[in-house]
Amino acid sequence: MKPLKLLALIVIPLGIIIAAVPPDRVKHFRLTADELLQEAGAGVQFISPDVVADMLVQKDPSLRLIDVRTPEEFDAYHMDGAINIPLSSLLSDEYTDILNQEAYMNVLYSNGSVYANQAWMITRQLGYENNFVLEGGLNYWFGNILSPEAPSQTSPNEEFAKYDFRKSTAAALGGGSIVATEGSATAVKAVKPPVTSKAKKKPAGGC
Amino acid sequence: MGPLAPNEIISENTNFLLAFFIGIAFGWVLESSGFSSSRKLAGIFYGYDTVVLKVFFTGAITAMLGLLFMSLFGWVDLDLVYVNPTYLTSAIIGGVVMGAGFIMGGFCPGTSFCGAAIGKIDAMVFIVGLFLGVYGFAFTYPLWEKMYMAKYLGEPRVSEKLGMSDGLFGLFLIIAAMGMFIVAEWAEKKWPREEY
Repeated sequence: MKPLKLLALIVIPLGIIIAAVPPDRVKHFRLTADELLQEAGAGVQFISPDVVADMLVQKDPSLRLIDVRTPEEFDAYHMDGAINIPLSSLLSDEYTDILNQEAYMNVLYSNGSVYANQAWMITRQLGYENNFVLEGGLNYWFGNILSPEAPSQTSPNEEFAKYDFRKSTAAALGGGSIVATEGSATAVKAVKPPVTSKAKKKPAGGC
Repeated sequence: MGPLAPNEIISENTNFLLAFFIGIAFGWVLESSGFSSSRKLAGIFYGYDTVVLKVFFTGAITAMLGLLFMSLFGWVDLDLVYVNPTYLTSAIIGGVVMGAGFIMGGFCPGTSFCGAAIGKIDAMVFIVGLFLGVYGFAFTYPLWEKMYMAKYLGEPRVSEKLGMSDGLFGLFLIIAAMGMFIVAEWAEKKWPREEY
């Protein structure tokens, strides 16, 4: 057989196969199930609310809060400066640039931490980095950061330090009562940051 | 998984080592395909020998199919594969300069080293000229800088510009290559040359 014919017999069928494959099949997942299980088990995705509160007070430009609840819930209340990416439209093209980037530290939150965790798992499975989950979610945020409870007299000193920190944070973030948080004048505008962010804070891990 | 170096599966040094061996293999294939003969190379411009077109286009469609299939199997992330950015003006001018040098000197840069390796004096002279050109350009770079950087297009791909999938464009390219090969073989018969 002539070499040209032989070549044509090999490459043309291969070309037809590759042309028939839907283009999005080429997009693949980057983490194996094992790797994901290991990460999720170690809880590396969680970021402590105290760290987030501190970043908000410091107006850290690298922090970006992402609300994964429904738009209705987002309209009713959301953390200051947060943007809304409902879990159901997480994979829509318009959000890819927000979730898959290296400039910001995205903190996902929902009422608890279940939905935010689901969102994190999906983004992590896609190979995205710099996405974290607010530990405890909004419920913990309200109950402990914005309206902290005084520790009992017998508590260790760290508890008092934590309480003092949270009380001052709550004041800075306009906490104290749920009603007052909305539209509070003292609230911090943490987002609309410049693109540069050199010192990216490592999250405090699972504890 | 892939590409190996950007994903840090292999180190930068291992990468260079692999490149070294691939380079030697490339030189060997060039030499054994007859690419160290400037008469054979120049044949593409006159039609009596089209081995340049055939070898390089076969190489291109093989690499293309390989990358597309490896991407399909999840073995390589095409987003991480380096693509030379396009500067349109310098691409056109550089192409003309390269083509003129090719037909006058009878070699392209890679094949000139092939020719020099088997002791061809014209290939060595070509390499001297090549380095004169490289240093001449580097030392007068400020004169060219504006033109060199003009019409920056980023990293466009033909398939993107035409709005079709990579695979479909690949199929068209394969068919076009086959068409060119048929024309090339016809040209070899039409303008044959004995003993070159």
